[in-house]
Amino acid sequence: MAPRPQSSAAGVLALLAEPEPLLKQHALKALISLVPQFWAEISEHIAVIESLYDSDELPLEARHSAALLASKVYYYLEEYDEALSFALGAGSAFEQDSKTPGSEEYVETVISKAIDRYIQTRTAEHPDKVDPRLGKIIEGIFARCIQNGEYRQAIGIALESHRLDIITQIYEQTHDTGLLGYAMEAVLDNNFSLSYRDQVLNSLFPLFPSPTADSKSPHIHSLTRLLVTLSSPALTVPLLVSLVPGEKLLAYQLAFDLVEGGAQDFLEAVRTKLPEGDQDAKPIFDMIRKILGGHESVKLYLEFLKKNNRSDLLILKHTKDVLEPRSSVYHNAVTFQNAFMHAGTTSDLFLRENLDWLGYASNWSKFTATAALGVIHKGNFEQGMAILGPYLPNENGGESTLAGAAYSEGGALYALGLINAGVGSGRTVENYLRDILRAAQNEVVQHGAALGLGVAGMGGHNGEAYDDLKQTLFTDSAVAGEGAGYAMGLVMLGTANATCAGEMLTYARETQHEKIIRGLAVGLAFLFYGRQDEADETVKQLLAEKDPILRYGGVYTLALAYAGIPNNDAVRKLLHIAVSDTSDDVRRAAVTSLAFLLFKNPRQVPRIVQLLSESYNPHVRCGATLALGIACAGTGLQDAVEILEPMTKDSVDFVRQGAFIALGMILVQQSDASSPSLAATRASYAKIIADKHEDPMARFGAAFGQGFIDAGGRNVTISLQSRAGTRNTSAIVGMALFCQFWYWYPLAHGACLAFEPTGIIGLTEDLQAPKFDFISNARPSLFAYPSPMKTAKKEVAKVVTTAVLSTTAKVKARERRKAVSEGEAMETDKESEAKKDSDVEMKADDPSSSGQHGDVSPISGSISNLADGQPGDPKATSKRKEPTWENVANFSRVTPAQFAYVVFPPTNRYQPVRPVSTRDPNLKSGKAPNNKSPASTVSSEKYSGGGGILLMVDQQPGEPSEFIEFTSTAPVVEEAAAASAGAGAPRADVPSIALDASGPEADPPQPFEYPFGNDT
Amino acid sequence: MADVEMKPADEKTRKDADKKDEKETTPTPPSAVSEIKSNIALIDRAVSTLEPRFTHRVLRSLAALRKRLNDTVLRDAIAEVYPQDSSVKAVLLSWLPEAPAQDQSMDIDPTPTPTSKSIPAEPVPEAEIYLRLLILHHLLTSPSNYAKATELAQDTVQKMQALNRRSLDPIAAKVWFAVERTYELAGELSDARPLFLAAQRTASLRHDDETQASLINRLLRSYLHYSLYDQADKLVSKTTFPLSAPNPQYARYHFFLGRIRAVQLNYTEAHTNLQQAIRRAPPPKIAPGFYQAVHKLFVVVELLMGDIPERSLFRHPVLEKALSGYFDIVKAVRTGSLSQFQNTLSQHAALFEADKTYTLIVRLRQNVIKTGIRRLSLSYSRISLRDICVKLHLDSEEDAEYIVGKAIRDGVIEGRIVHEKGWMECGGQKTGDGPEVSEMFARRIGYCLELHNQSVKAMRYPLNAHRKELADAEGAREREKELAKEIQEGDLDDDDSALGEF
Repeated sequence: MAPRPQSSAAGVLALLAEPEPLLKQHALKALISLVPQFWAEISEHIAVIESLYDSDELPLEARHSAALLASKVYYYLEEYDEALSFALGAGSAFEQDSKTPGSEEYVETVISKAIDRYIQTRTAEHPDKVDPRLGKIIEGIFARCIQNGEYRQAIGIALESHRLDIITQIYEQTHDTGLLGYAMEAVLDNNFSLSYRDQVLNSLFPLFPSPTADSKSPHIHSLTRLLVTLSSPALTVPLLVSLVPGEKLLAYQLAFDLVEGGAQDFLEAVRTKLPEGDQDAKPIFDMIRKILGGHESVKLYLEFLKKNNRSDLLILKHTKDVLEPRSSVYHNAVTFQNAFMHAGTTSDLFLRENLDWLGYASNWSKFTATAALGVIHKGNFEQGMAILGPYLPNENGGESTLAGAAYSEGGALYALGLINAGVGSGRTVENYLRDILRAAQNEVVQHGAALGLGVAGMGGHNGEAYDDLKQTLFTDSAVAGEGAGYAMGLVMLGTANATCAGEMLTYARETQHEKIIRGLAVGLAFLFYGRQDEADETVKQLLAEKDPILRYGGVYTLALAYAGIPNNDAVRKLLHIAVSDTSDDVRRAAVTSLAFLLFKNPRQVPRIVQLLSESYNPHVRCGATLALGIACAGTGLQDAVEILEPMTKDSVDFVRQGAFIALGMILVQQSDASSPSLAATRASYAKIIADKHEDPMARFGAAFGQGFIDAGGRNVTISLQSRAGTRNTSAIVGMALFCQFWYWYPLAHGACLAFEPTGIIGLTEDLQAPKFDFISNARPSLFAYPSPMKTAKKEVAKVVTTAVLSTTAKVKARERRKAVSEGEAMETDKESEAKKDSDVEMKADDPSSSGQHGDVSPISGSISNLADGQPGDPKATSKRKEPTWENVANFSRVTPAQFAYVVFPPTNRYQPVRPVSTRDPNLKSGKAPNNKSPASTVSSEKYSGGGGILLMVDQQPGEPSEFIEFTSTAPVVEEAAAASAGAGAPRADVPSIALDASGPEADPPQPFEYPFGNDT
Repeated sequence: MADVEMKPADEKTRKDADKKDEKETTPTPPSAVSEIKSNIALIDRAVSTLEPRFTHRVLRSLAALRKRLNDTVLRDAIAEVYPQDSSVKAVLLSWLPEAPAQDQSMDIDPTPTPTSKSIPAEPVPEAEIYLRLLILHHLLTSPSNYAKATELAQDTVQKMQALNRRSLDPIAAKVWFAVERTYELAGELSDARPLFLAAQRTASLRHDDETQASLINRLLRSYLHYSLYDQADKLVSKTTFPLSAPNPQYARYHFFLGRIRAVQLNYTEAHTNLQQAIRRAPPPKIAPGFYQAVHKLFVVVELLMGDIPERSLFRHPVLEKALSGYFDIVKAVRTGSLSQFQNTLSQHAALFEADKTYTLIVRLRQNVIKTGIRRLSLSYSRISLRDICVKLHLDSEEDAEYIVGKAIRDGVIEGRIVHEKGWMECGGQKTGDGPEVSEMFARRIGYCLELHNQSVKAMRYPLNAHRKELADAEGAREREKELAKEIQEGDLDDDDSALGEF
């Protein structure tokens, strides 16, 4: 029990007070070893130790140990800043100490503090005022990281401390483009200021080596993302030029990838700045210019969607039959469902089969129905005018005298905008719309023209268009002004133009019309798209407004300004508004807006939104559903589905509506194998829609959900992020527009801008699509198309809709016969489960309308027959015997999750010029991803990037090759002619019927009232 | 919430426990094994769900479980928890004595074969540390195993620090306690101090509040054990006790602080701290030792402050026996009789030495006198110094004058000395209200509010309980809808029948 020999440091401490320097030195040395035990005691004398460090009478070495001692004492006192300061003063003593055992934690803490302080001083106003001693430590850290191969850590510190030279240095040492990609992603996905981001990207760009086709350099994805983010023609043009003589395929590929994510004005600038080129290069440059125009990719995707259209008309028919068409809400619901299911497929079969139904559309539902044509024909800009011709207003500005014609005219103008969405700037379409806008007197036509102009000229920054819209706005007509408000923002998308903002805000404050205020408020949000902190001032101003509609705009401004950047402050602000604002609308918008900030990490969203989804306030719950839907769209994320499923039974109708819509968005392109809740969701849609006693809003939502879940003929996903990993501008804008459907149904069409075709489209150098196969290393059922509706369902439909079916029955029978005679090829498609009677019907239906001739199938059919020898078998048996891979043909659907499994066998004649997916390399090595649980693989790899339009290198250039025939590119002229000839007749009917129908309907429509009395 | 290992009483409770041990373990080994197994499952859940409260639940049962441990129980538990050929299992078993031959054969044949198959996966490292903790506690029950226990303690500490897992923190805090016990029982407590200091630093760097709180208490205890009050005080002043520390740790911390303050003559603060310690401590029946120890000190401090503890305190069933010596002192002080005080002091000196309160009680001599003065001041409005001398057995009037003067200055009594006439005049009684009373109320109210806030924070709602409500609401809605449907469809019939009746 005797006390330890040394129970206090008092003795040694007393030596410090001795006058003899030698004694002091000795004391300091002794104390350093005593600090861990007696720091509390020593800390009482810290002042003495500090003065020893400053005193001149001691030799340098002793002063160093005094500093080290002080630093250690402060470290034990948890005053890490002081500890660092003295450690810096300790110089050699600190370095020596770092080698002694037992002080690892001390050294580690001091060094991490040093890094923090270094970053702080470097990012402050005067980055040069860094303590040289601190600098030395940091240099040491960099050197050590590089020496040990911990490059990523070094890059992280370098990025934060604005030391771009270190990144250069590391790259020069390693030549690993992956590291550059890492640095780029880090700077893009984290919270760095815009100007610094550009600075980093500008310095990174020259480091990337020039891409070559042989090396299949994976950094081309990063390069594309970088160019798109910087939007700098000055960087892009030389890169393209450098590729031209030798690597023209790569140049084409790059051009396609740029079109994917680039803004219109950027692409336009690159186009004009590209040199003409000499004899050899001229055609190549012309081709690049053509690609950059954007029309080429739109056309290819249109072709892809047309060819692979798998929409299930039975579902649609079923919905149409149970929803009373005389109610405009239900009419709109079916219109939207049809539009979304056929978005971009150009298949207007349903409309033509149901002309009488179309005739029920009146007033604004007619507007919506006509605009839906734009969604269906989205991207079909060559024939857009021809298709919409019958509905468009007269060229000379004269207005139709027929009652209600204004609605179809306005809708057609809006449709025209949708067809040319994002590629219309500076084209004839824009001028046409502007002319109409100026000439039109009717506010409905003005509304349609304004919206059309906005969508088509989105991000075009066309000042004249803006002025025209402003003139329309100043007429102070509620309907026209609203459209103009949205459109002004769309045209000036992301400019943060102070004059425009001022004008819009002033007018919004002056006008009496709520509609105009809303249009302008959301327009302001578009104006500040992606401007991050530049929008802060306006956001603050808007959020402080008394008018809830302007605050609503403020919420969207905040969300769009930080779109895709999970800025903590912005998220916090939105969450705060979501629970504190006095207006339900603003709260709902705030919750929904979270999706725009967080869509890059869909896994986070369910966790954040969970509590809000259980709020007592139904508006907040509704906002939560949409937030989940938008942020997790296309992922099939099980967490999100689990939150949403109970919400489909919420007691408030619009919450159920939101839940149905969100489920549709999330489960788009999922298969039964990849998402267990798919079948249940589909069943609940059918049940809700058929339930007469269900609230109209919920039925409306379920119809929407059905539209989304089978969007674009089941060949598109919904994604706010482009393949290269950048944010997809038009998709984000489209979704923001879609969210306004709460107030104005026609704006729901905006959702089609977020539809992203998912497929692999292989092209040769002359942009022909050769026939070839590639391998998908996953169970076929994991990524299969869902099987079409079963016959049992059809029976039900038959009972209800005798009239419609009787007319088509004959056609169907005939076509079934035809299909059989045409051979089995069509049926033996790779999705073996799809072999049901109805499938044949479906496929037989399609050729008549869109001219599809199933030429893809035979190739894959022969091979896949070997693979799946048990077509149509029940799941139980197929599960075990199912092959772990399948052959997929060019121009087929490949879902985003599937990209990771796609492999091009080296024996293939055609090889892609760049890697298919950014994550490809890692996965290839694994090669056994099939056994992973479907949910995890599907969702985790959502944004793997890649895919889309791929240029292929022909390994055997001499041999003749087979090409897939394009229906709209090569034989454009005759196809168009044929289309107008073949489809012209029914098309001509449509307007006439629509117009006629408006005649007999005498009663003015009551848009939101369910006409119970008429329900017979 | 009951954390039982309040160590000041450990000696005694441990001995009790040991005695009970032999009686209890025989009938209950199966339940002990299954309890360990379910605890391991809980720990596993805590780690996988990142929810430390499951671990806390496991640790709460530690004290009860500890009494039921023996070699067989531990060996069975380890055999069942770990797969057959696990290396961890071999290491764990090596700390336990070899089982008797027939016992072993019984063990290996019937039990492990089925169970080891049922638990093929290796449990999380937290489970291993937990088992080590149990073994450590078990080893400490017999003095012959102390050397082994020290070895195990060192090994476990190293392992813990190497693992560096946040989910381990609550268990680690307990392990540190066991480590301290090990060193203390082996008589090498001071050897452990550098270890604790280093670990405390690490814990504070890792924001490991629980371990930090536990270690600060370990250090304080270690200092106080060797009467290094100065060092202890410096440690307290230079560290901040983590706010989120669990109640038992807080109780201990306040107890140590009370002791330090009392030695430093700062009785008011000591009193507050001890009061906190009593309030934070687990119920007296569960941790009697701590309760007794705190009250011993509390009584002394109260006496030193010039107050007389309440009589009822000494009738408390847990305290009655333990505090009998103190009760005698209180009686002496209350009567203000120096001779009685001296007698009692010499009578119970050994007890007070053991309780480490002797030095404090010696200081009471002054208080005995003060109490006497106070009694006098209550009885007399004016009394001559000479009479004071007689009544208090003082040597001279000068002494009396000095003592009375100091008592007046200290606020023990209210009054003044009239030097010319040689007497003391006493002021009126305190009326019982005024700023002090309201201050006292404010303090109590503050304490209550804080207690309330803490309990609210500590409340937990069952997870997803509201889902059931949702389902109910949905059912109600469904019924409503059906009703609406029926009314709509059966409208006419209803009307008819209604008309028919009337």
